Amino acid sequence: MSPMDLAAKGDRYTAVYDSAQFKVLRRRSNTFLAWSSATFYGWWLLVIMLAAFVPSFFRVRVAGPINIGLVVVFVSLHLVVAISVVYLRFARTRLDPLSEQIRADLEGDLR
Amino acid sequence: MTGVYALPQPTHVDNTWAAPGLAAVLAVVLAVVVFALVLPARRGIRTPNDFIVSGRKVGAGQNTFAMVGMGLMYSTVIIIAGHVALSGFDAIMLLTAFTMSTVLAVLIYAGPARNVGGYTLGDLFAVRAQERPARMASAVVTLVVYGMFMIAILASIGLVASRMFSTSSPANTPFVAGMIALVALIAILWVYLGGMTGVTRLLVLKVCLFMALVAGLTIAVMVKYRMNPIHLLNDAEAQAAPNKRGDLLGPGRLFGTGATFDSNQDPWVHLSKIFSVAAGALGMPFFFMRYLVANSGRDARRSAGWAASIAVAFWQCMIVLGLGATAILGGKAIGSKWDTRDITLPKLADHLGGKWMSAALGAVALLSVAAIFAALLLNGVTTATKDINAARGRQLEPAAELKAIRRNVLVIGVVSLVLGTALAPLLTHIFIPASIDVGGTCILPAVVYSLFWRRFNTRGLLWTIYGGLAVIMFMVLFSNGISGDPSNAMFPNVSFKFIDFEPGLVGVPVGFLLGFIGSLTSRERNDAKFAEMRVRALTGAVIPGRKPAGTPAGPDERARENRTLSEAH
Repeated sequence: MSPMDLAAKGDRYTAVYDSAQFKVLRRRSNTFLAWSSATFYGWWLLVIMLAAFVPSFFRVRVAGPINIGLVVVFVSLHLVVAISVVYLRFARTRLDPLSEQIRADLEGDLR
Repeated sequence: MTGVYALPQPTHVDNTWAAPGLAAVLAVVLAVVVFALVLPARRGIRTPNDFIVSGRKVGAGQNTFAMVGMGLMYSTVIIIAGHVALSGFDAIMLLTAFTMSTVLAVLIYAGPARNVGGYTLGDLFAVRAQERPARMASAVVTLVVYGMFMIAILASIGLVASRMFSTSSPANTPFVAGMIALVALIAILWVYLGGMTGVTRLLVLKVCLFMALVAGLTIAVMVKYRMNPIHLLNDAEAQAAPNKRGDLLGPGRLFGTGATFDSNQDPWVHLSKIFSVAAGALGMPFFFMRYLVANSGRDARRSAGWAASIAVAFWQCMIVLGLGATAILGGKAIGSKWDTRDITLPKLADHLGGKWMSAALGAVALLSVAAIFAALLLNGVTTATKDINAARGRQLEPAAELKAIRRNVLVIGVVSLVLGTALAPLLTHIFIPASIDVGGTCILPAVVYSLFWRRFNTRGLLWTIYGGLAVIMFMVLFSNGISGDPSNAMFPNVSFKFIDFEPGLVGVPVGFLLGFIGSLTSRERNDAKFAEMRVRALTGAVIPGRKPAGTPAGPDERARENRTLSEAH
């Protein structure tokens, strides 16, 4: 393959990248990823900092043997499930149809 | 043999839980079952693509279970149960950190890694950086993790053998060394015969058995407390051995001052462990193969999401088992050193289910560790064949490449076997956290930058990978896992440690910083490559005929692309 061909193909990716459709796709994806990971890891950092530096807070009893720390752990574990479920749904409904179309256009053109 | 080659001698414990004869019978049965699953896979292997990534035809359901299976090892199941029994809340935090790291896989790694495709991390790096340095960086970091993890995994075969397949204390060195060699040899054969299809089936079998066993034990514990977790928590708290740093159910036992031997770095020590696991565990290169075997980026993402959710259920069972062990066996039965702490789960299994349960746990634990070794070996072989050949600019015909891959399975496998058996006398557990640190320090920044940062370039990649590796290796060398801690260090009789906290705490930010500075100090800038990465990662589109960043498309590669194309419609 000549360097010309390679450059032409690089241009094709750039053209898709600059297309309005792809802009929507990447904005949607980036926004979701940024918000979800910031929230999730922000929460998790807060949890481990509290456990390390303010242990007395986690020792506060809520009911019977259950303290705030155990509640926080329970919430964290289920946050993993929640974020996975929400992302799978988001990606299926908001990202996949767009990316399918872009891909079909890009690959179909070359047939 | 003693003297020159002797296993570390654990504290003397009367082994009342193991049922060696029964465990051995079950282990042999399992090995036969695995051979029956792996052998038919051999027929489907015609190209390197079939061998390494099962022709990318692993179904989403099967892949989900295999992904869960990758996370269950000796350290994360057997050790963590004892950890929870002894240290309660603080150990539960560590266990939670493992599930936190799976979120990275769901959000960032799984879909894009599969969409970009290829066989190794090098395929992903090479989209943004120059081909040869990217390939070498991938090979180096993957093989370093392979080497460290392999040694620790083979050592855990030894631990399973000495605790659950033998009742002698002190440990019977020739027996344990023989078991390591035998189990490793069988695992090498499984990989040789079945390739990725075989490894996937092995992981699925292992995870089903392990989850059934853990679910059974959890139900047995809960039945004792009439399905009421409050009773369990109360009893665990009442039975726990007192500890001046904190109660069982509150923070302090590992965070508190004095938790780390001869150190003034608490609570940073435990904090750093939790942080490093959450940032790095799923970044270890061998996890990436699980995304690459999926049919599409969508399937990879779906499997990762389901696997994360199943893992959460599994870890909650482990919390019940750990606290249940304290409640049922009593705090005094949980030893406070690693060697007496790690036998908690086998003891609990024996207590609840008698010798059948204990033997089943032994056999499944052995299968489990062997499966991790097999998956790891396949990853090492893939990078050693694909990345190094690509870096040297060699393009093999598919048939020749398949031959080379099979030969490498035997060569690398046997070298690993010898090395792992020879190093069994040392306490090499430090290599597991060290590998996780590499995952967080090198792989996480390199992948995140490759996917999302326009300015990232070759120098940024190299600084992240090699600089990150150097920082981690330096810090590990002077950590308490190598020297200075009489009960946990690899060389307990000397002390040159000054770092007690987990290197990942410093390593992860340093890895990101190095990639940043490296990229900015280099003039290389390629917006077209960034556009290509974004488009490919988000859509999975491949412009046919275009070789991914400079590799000549071999027949195998073309076949793959054609397949991907036809699947799109």
